[in-house]
This record gives sequence, C-alpha cells and structure tokens, in this order.
Amino acid sequence: MAKKKINIENSVRRLRFDNDEMTQQELADLVSISRQTVVAIEKYKYTPSLDLAFKIALAFDMDIQEVFYINQ
Amino acid sequence: MNIKLRNTLGEIISAAIAIIWVYSKLDAAANMSIVLISQVLVQGIGISILASILFAIVMSIFSSIITGSYEKNIVDERDTMIELYAMRLSSVIFGISIVIILALLGWFNLNINFGIIAITLAGFFASIASNFLKIYFYK
Repeated sequence: MAKKKINIENSVRRLRFDNDEMTQQELADLVSISRQTVVAIEKYKYTPSLDLAFKIALAFDMDIQEVFYINQ
Repeated sequence: MNIKLRNTLGEIISAAIAIIWVYSKLDAAANMSIVLISQVLVQGIGISILASILFAIVMSIFSSIITGSYEKNIVDERDTMIELYAMRLSSVIFGISIVIILALLGWFNLNINFGIIAITLAGFFASIASNFLKIYFYK
C-alpha cells in the first residue's frame, strides 16, 4: 500500500456554534482539556487521539465520523 | 498570555538567571577547588529551580488579580506530547554537548573544572532550548 498523507479535518467549530454557541472553554471543560488544545484542534494544528476524539464527539452527542473526517 | 506560556517563560528566565549567577561566581575557575566549583554549580541549579517556582507563583497571583479569576493549569495529551518533544530536544542537545566537551577536554588537555562547568552550563542551555521549542508549539 502506497504511503499517502491524510488530512484529518473536523467540524468542531461549526458544532460549537450549533450547540447554543458553546465557548471553547466550555468544550474544554466538558472533555477535560485546555482551551489552547481546543484552539489547536479547530485550526487543524493538532489531531487528537482516538480517545479524545470520541470524547469530543460524545460532547456533541454525535458519531465520531460526523465530527472528524478525512479531506480527500 | 496563558498559564503554560507564562510558566515556560519563567523557566527560561530562571535558567538565564542561574547561568548569569554561576558565571559571575566562577571568575577564576582554573584556580578554584573542585569542592568550591561543585558548590557554586549546585547553588546555581537550586537558584534556577527556586526562581522558576517563585516566578510561577508571582505570575499566577498577578494574573488572578488582573483577570479576577483563577486559571487552572490543565495538563492534557497535547501538553504531554509537547513535553516529550521538548525532552527529546533537551536530551539530544545535552548528549551532543557532553560528547563535544569530553572530546575538547581530551584534545586540548583542559582542566577537569572546565569540563564540570561546561557540562552544567550545557544542561541549562539544553533546558532553555527545549523551553523555546515548547513556546513554538504553544504559540
């Protein structure tokens, strides 16, 4: 299988606004991470671990693939 | 400026203070006994640790007064990853420094005092470099 770089993107920012304009700090508190980490995830500067990705998806009451996806 | 950046900056300033303090106390290192040099170096390390703790406390108090709220220092998986990167850089710099210092000691037949001082200072510089890497990731 050829090595291919995958770009994992997310819709955390949009989902926050869809959830009563949840602040970054509120999301951070919900999943026990720092606000800076939420900022990094939203800017695609940091890809969270599977564990954290699931926690974020659960915070929005959604499936993980609805929050995190591969940009082809 | 968030708590992580403040603490990292505090560590850089503390290491710089320790380097200056050690440098000012070791004026004629070649003539100093190994005991005296060791005392100065240990004091320098102690000053660095104490200064970073004091800096963190003072900045935390100032921040709480200015913002009116207490900022918790939450350590998550990204912090752990950044810490690992910084530690790796620090050990690479320190390891290379030790090899270079030992080579120079043997090559130029230098006094062992210089070796001990250089290795301690290399530790401080490695710490400063790793803290700058942390700032790069946190920014």
